[in-house]
Amino acid sequence: MTTLEQRLAALGQELELPEAPDLAPAVLARLESRRRPFPWRRAAALALALLALAAVAAFAVPDSRSAILRWFHLGGVSVERVETLPPAVERAQAGGLGRKVTRRQAADLVGFRIALPPVEGSPPVYVLDDALATVVLRAYGHAVLLSQFSSSNQDALKKLAVGKTTIEPVTVNGNPGLWLEGGPHTLTYLARDRSFRERTVRIHGNVLLWLRNGITMRLEGPLTRSQALSLARRV
Amino acid sequence: MRIHQGISFRTAYLLTGSAVDAEEAVQDAFVKAYRALGRFRRGAALRPWLLRIVANEAHNRRRSAARRERLALRATQDRPGDAVPSPEAALLAGEERERLLAAVERLPDEQRDTVTCRYFLELSEEETATVLRVRRGTVKSRLARGLDRLRAELGEEDE
Repeated sequence: MTTLEQRLAALGQELELPEAPDLAPAVLARLESRRRPFPWRRAAALALALLALAAVAAFAVPDSRSAILRWFHLGGVSVERVETLPPAVERAQAGGLGRKVTRRQAADLVGFRIALPPVEGSPPVYVLDDALATVVLRAYGHAVLLSQFSSSNQDALKKLAVGKTTIEPVTVNGNPGLWLEGGPHTLTYLARDRSFRERTVRIHGNVLLWLRNGITMRLEGPLTRSQALSLARRV
Repeated sequence: MRIHQGISFRTAYLLTGSAVDAEEAVQDAFVKAYRALGRFRRGAALRPWLLRIVANEAHNRRRSAARRERLALRATQDRPGDAVPSPEAALLAGEERERLLAAVERLPDEQRDTVTCRYFLELSEEETATVLRVRRGTVKSRLARGLDRLRAELGEEDE
């Protein structure tokens, strides 16, 4: 660096610049108001980079009234806190999961290997829109759903609108995750059929979300936090 | 978002020359960035990508030289351990910085933007190129021309 360049760099340090205002609430409010026409499907994996750190900070201060508390991203999932849940279809746990195929066929359809905890035999895999793969497992005496989809898959993005559910950050084998427990919440799945429909279903079980090798994993069922984590660690 | 809003606002302010315009530019940029996340190349650095959108919004609001808010220098603060300069030396150094700043503000827009990104915002050449949507070679040549012009304005010899 020449002397002039050094002087310019030093000058930059001495500039009196206006204080940056906190723009997050205004930006989030604008995104909220435009949310309907917004193409959700594409955003999730990368929004993680933008918001994940802020989300972690927000978790650390549960009483914070910051707008960021209303919105979290993890891989291909967006979690939003809302006061009123949107109208939704009540779903039986295994309903609407898609067509039933073998594990190998499922891998071909979704483009990644279907990860499972050690299980007996080869349980069928349900695939929805060639994007979302779900397996019904028996664990701790309950039927639980293990869903997985590529975090970068533009066709598969879920949004969980959370009412009074508690949201807690967790780690699964060193990977980031979220534990959602408590009241009912809705799951909105955007299916790509040229028009990007939203399907909203209401869920009563607890949910564990985590990332695994670029895949967003989602465990849903009447498990406790420690049971869900224990199962997830074995996937 | 909060992680990047400081540098985003500084970028927008230095490019628009107005705090009000900078705030609007950053808000619009963040909304657009969120909506454009699908076009973000995985593995690429987020900061230059975001600043590029900020810079684009800032350029749309760029004020004419006459309407720009004048950049000002912070009051000099003595740092612990520094030898205290004589009042004459401090005055001289202050005047020198003011002259340099005024000369930067008189640069043609393209050169001033490049100098601003590179030295005031401390972006790398690569980042500057991304943010200003030009090739790295263009950054180098604009910097060279800008520095030459500053030297000429300040009546300094080539280094």
